[in-house]
Amino acid sequence: MAKNGEPDYDQLGDEGECKVKIICLGDSAVGKSKLVERFLMDGYKPQQLSTYALTLFNYKTEVNGTKVLVDFWDTAGQERFNNMHPSYYHQAHACILVFDTTRKVTYKNMPQWLKELREYRPEIPCLCCANKIDVDYNVTKKSFGFAKKHRMPFYFVSASDGTNVVKMFTDAIRAAVAYKNDSTDFMDEIMRELEHFELETNSKRSNGKADSSSSSPRDDKNDTKSSNDS
Amino acid sequence: MDEIEIQKCGVKFDPPSIVVVYNDKGSTKKRRRTMPLREFTKTSNIEVAAEELKTNPRHGKYVSQITKHQLIRLVTIIRDKLNGMSLEASLARNDELDKIDPEENLNTVDEETLKRKKAVMDTTFTKHQVRPDDPKFQYDVQVAFDEENVMESGWDSDKSSDMEF
Repeated sequence: MAKNGEPDYDQLGDEGECKVKIICLGDSAVGKSKLVERFLMDGYKPQQLSTYALTLFNYKTEVNGTKVLVDFWDTAGQERFNNMHPSYYHQAHACILVFDTTRKVTYKNMPQWLKELREYRPEIPCLCCANKIDVDYNVTKKSFGFAKKHRMPFYFVSASDGTNVVKMFTDAIRAAVAYKNDSTDFMDEIMRELEHFELETNSKRSNGKADSSSSSPRDDKNDTKSSNDS
Repeated sequence: MDEIEIQKCGVKFDPPSIVVVYNDKGSTKKRRRTMPLREFTKTSNIEVAAEELKTNPRHGKYVSQITKHQLIRLVTIIRDKLNGMSLEASLARNDELDKIDPEENLNTVDEETLKRKKAVMDTTFTKHQVRPDDPKFQYDVQVAFDEENVMESGWDSDKSSDMEF
């Protein structure tokens, strides 16, 4: 069923559930494990894959009335070698990209993580989150251009006090299922919200003149699924 | 459960020990407690030694009042001394290990450094943490932040490292 003891996400679950794989990416100590732990709460024992240094968290839920088995993959510190084993990306259906709002370097490294992700998974939905906002809530009054530039949904979160953690993971699961079902509806919905916001701010800044490049933002859509790669 | 209040903590080199000055809740009388690190040598594992002290039936209740990062720091200072480092040099090294530099790439530092930085960050994490047994606890906390009246973070301006692809 699975090579090297790894789960195969093309198979259905034992009870016919849809199986999705969601990966977390980002620098050391940005709080990736703590975010997953906050979402799953106590009592979830991660499963260690012996073949590679990876940690897996299983989660059962429902999306639009369909049972879904979610595996959250955590790096288990592998990011310290600056790139992840390819099996980390294999068959992933969504990615959560995390940076630490108290450490600029973790934000500056985001393009590298995204680049590596896109080498393996050019089209999967990717969400961006700014963690540790509890350290100084003033950070939420600031803008971070990376997510918008790469057309990703963006979340201010805190694994410590729980702010927006459940919302972010729930969105990630819905995006993963939508991607697996070959539908871009959910990501479209999120992107529409973002673009609406972008248009508003543009018009505000240029005194009502909307920027032509953002008035037809769908033209450069680059995340349309074109192959059935999982 | 927290019937004691730690006032100060420190180290003793001979024999290697953690020392705390504390008083019982509601009392002003200061007490001192010396807790030796058993069979601790210059090659001993710092986290294991700290954990042993924490789970020690006699010392646990005192040690658990010290934050993990402070306890690790104290044990590290003792081990540095056993390795022949001067107290001054060890304090400087430990200050460096406890400092969070927002520009420092932690993907490339050694294991000891990463663990120390994580322990420092964990102190903040724990301080702000809302645990399930807290009356304020809510599983799904949703906060919509004002996206209109925002300032640029300034983290996008430095083009040099923002790789295009």
